[in-house]
Amino acid sequence: MIQLYNVCKSYQKDSSAALDNLSLKVPKGDFVYITGPSGAGKSTLLKLLYCAEKPNRGQILVNGQNITRMGSSHIPHLRRRTGIVFQDFKLLESRTIFENVAFPLEVQGKKRYEISNKVYQVLKHVGLHGKLHQYPLQLSGGEQQRVAVARALVIDPLILLADEPTGNLDFEVTLGIVDLFKGANARGTTVLLATHNRELIRRFPRRVIALENGQLVDDYTP
Amino acid sequence: MFDRIVYLCRRVLRNLKGSPILCSAAIGTVAVALTILVFFALIVLNVQKMAAHWSKEIQVVAYLDNDPPGARLDDWRKLIKGMPEVGQVRYVDQDEAFRRFRARLGSDSDLLEGFGVEILPASLEITLKEGHRSQMAAEAVVGRLRQNPDFSEFSYGQDWLERFESFLGMLRFGGAILGSFLLFAALFIVANTIKLTLYARRDELEIMALVGATPFYIKTPFLLEGALHGALGGLLALIGSFAVFQLFLQRGLSSLLLVSGNEQIAFLSWQQQLFVIVVGILLGIIGSALSLRKFVRI
Repeated sequence: MIQLYNVCKSYQKDSSAALDNLSLKVPKGDFVYITGPSGAGKSTLLKLLYCAEKPNRGQILVNGQNITRMGSSHIPHLRRRTGIVFQDFKLLESRTIFENVAFPLEVQGKKRYEISNKVYQVLKHVGLHGKLHQYPLQLSGGEQQRVAVARALVIDPLILLADEPTGNLDFEVTLGIVDLFKGANARGTTVLLATHNRELIRRFPRRVIALENGQLVDDYTP
Repeated sequence: MFDRIVYLCRRVLRNLKGSPILCSAAIGTVAVALTILVFFALIVLNVQKMAAHWSKEIQVVAYLDNDPPGARLDDWRKLIKGMPEVGQVRYVDQDEAFRRFRARLGSDSDLLEGFGVEILPASLEITLKEGHRSQMAAEAVVGRLRQNPDFSEFSYGQDWLERFESFLGMLRFGGAILGSFLLFAALFIVANTIKLTLYARRDELEIMALVGATPFYIKTPFLLEGALHGALGGLLALIGSFAVFQLFLQRGLSSLLLVSGNEQIAFLSWQQQLFVIVVGILLGIIGSALSLRKFVRI
């Protein structure tokens, strides 16, 4: 599903590389933790996968498509099959929970009744179907992250990229969020979850890709 | 397609409803910028209108030594009327010239006691066609008439014409320069105000891009919103400037241009008013497009 070949990325010419000659493969349906200290290159790796950044060197294939050569007009189509979850949720505060989750489907031009059905199902799945008409700031941090996960899942993504999604949440809430990722993974979605939470990896052991200074230092399944 | 249009309109309305203060600021900026432009246009257009009115006075007067015989006069008339610049030719005989002079002297007309009509020459008053009321055309007509020795002297207000033409030239040049400057200033201000509204919505723009919105999908509602801001701003500018025109400007311009009666100082025609709204719409669209370039990055 995801293949990286000798990928290098540095943000400024003279600065040290955020990713340094990184090569790895993630098969379809895999669940992978990306770990490493701050500045290891976890976020950069995810940004390259959803085309927010371009590598300076190397090739990246996603679902058989070389995204390093992809024109900017094709990027939106790649993102329509990619769910993305952030540490800071990135929800629209002026929109209701329903509208936030419906947003990716609206963007894809889906019909209104399709959107309503799908959004309700997903919100029910994450346990927030009772809060459809509330606004993000009326919810707790954990609930907001559930909304963000629902927004990522509503498009039935091929890949789910999560950048420190539980960084701001307590452990009980974290477990609930990871449960949602596991559920998506069980339905066939490839999940890449960037975290430095060792306890999480211990509780839900899956393949771990460890980065340090932009280089792959370990790749193991506990 | 219809769903798409409805959706776009809903998004535009939502944006307007979502940030009424910023939208009002954008509309207000367009309105103020266009009001200044409208005032400027009113001054330039009315001065030009007055100038065109004054230019009707431009005529060539060819003086004759003696009253010519009727047949010869008709020949001259035909010849002069045949010139491309000439509109009308009127013969003023010595009697009429004397009568006019007496009338002009008014209460001092008794100064003419003892003088006969022969003190004033007969003349041909040649009015130029519209589009030929210039120093060049007047000189061309005079040049041709000089070849006829029966005409002793010519008068076509040479100094006045020269000054009038340089004034018109300055007005047009100054109008073009100042108008373009004002338009660019308006565009700059409008683009920056719209940039503020986009800055307030940068999260929305970022999230749209992240969930797979195409640049077209992201930009279209903002461009439509810019157009709507521009149209409303243009409309406000017209209403505001019409009110100010009625209250102050008409009277001010009348006294400035020494026009008797307000009826000759006019507001913009409906085509010009439509043009102001179109300029507003273009300002809004271009301003939005310039700002969107910075904020929408896929």
